[in-house]
Amino acid sequence: MKSLKIMFGRVSAWALPVAMLFAAPALRAQEKQPAKIKASSIKVTMIESDEIKLPAEFQVSLYEDLIQQLQKKGGFQHVYRDGDHNAADAADLVILTSTVRGFKEGSERVRQVTTVAGATSISVHCAFTNKDGKLLLERDIRGNVRFFGGNLRATYDFAKKTAQVAHENFSPNAGT
Amino acid sequence: MVLSFWRVLSGGLLVMMSPFVLVSQAQQPAAPTKVVQIMGLTGVKNKTSGSLAVEGGNLRFAHGAAKVDLAATSVQDVVTGNDSQRLIHGTLGTLTMFAPYESGRFLSLFRTKLDTLTIQYRDTDGGLHGAVFTMPVGQAEVIKKELIAQGAHTSVPTVEGADNAPSKSTSAKEQKP
Repeated sequence: MKSLKIMFGRVSAWALPVAMLFAAPALRAQEKQPAKIKASSIKVTMIESDEIKLPAEFQVSLYEDLIQQLQKKGGFQHVYRDGDHNAADAADLVILTSTVRGFKEGSERVRQVTTVAGATSISVHCAFTNKDGKLLLERDIRGNVRFFGGNLRATYDFAKKTAQVAHENFSPNAGT
Repeated sequence: MVLSFWRVLSGGLLVMMSPFVLVSQAQQPAAPTKVVQIMGLTGVKNKTSGSLAVEGGNLRFAHGAAKVDLAATSVQDVVTGNDSQRLIHGTLGTLTMFAPYESGRFLSLFRTKLDTLTIQYRDTDGGLHGAVFTMPVGQAEVIKKELIAQGAHTSVPTVEGADNAPSKSTSAKEQKP
């Protein structure tokens, strides 16, 4: 009986710090969650890559993946394309401008043969502005493909992360 | 003496007829090219196989019974490039990854070269779209030339005589200047 009590004491002594270890980040995330900015629609401009020479298929793939992911997960009522006339009348419009800051084209063959080498990565600076050009949010977002898939999968990775950022920071129902 | 005369005559005839052969080839309607639409065409799923042709001022992508037409004049940019894919790809290619003795990795070494064709076009609302196709080597430059002839624009002008040149060299010029 005595040994059972000692054992219970030891287990509880370990369990408490472990539980705190897992609970702390979640609690901290809840505390830090910023207030969302009100935005019901977004306009995505074509990816700019003035400094970095980006192959055309990557540029188009970034743009199309971004639109697809924002439609799926961005939480906006409308996602407008670059040049769409209908965006002019949209209320609470956010404009997303993406500029490529870094690009390293890997090799699918090298990835498949070695597993550890041949990664493709794209670094993109994303700026969310309102209609007047006021900066609302900016982030550097990276897209990678390390193990499976073609090089263009890096654009899908980037688009998923960007849609997540948009979802976390913008909402049609936000108070501001 | 007689033999050399016939040789000279037949050679001369061949030289005289050769321009007509080229003209007759050029007048043939371009046959649709088998392509894979990687992404971007409205109403078509990503990675859909089909055929691509330029006819009557339109870029036509056909897959099964469905057809998607794009006016060549709406194409703002058309660029070619190159890529490669595993010789054994698709579901079977994925399954080979689990093959014994790392033979899947060995099979990954065998790849086929591809051409890529990237276009940017505007819809009726002015919205910008992009589409990427892959196709057999040498076909992208032909489609690009046909599109430009029908009114499409390009940021990378085609090189004269690119029809006869291997596609890889022209695309390399475009992608990595």
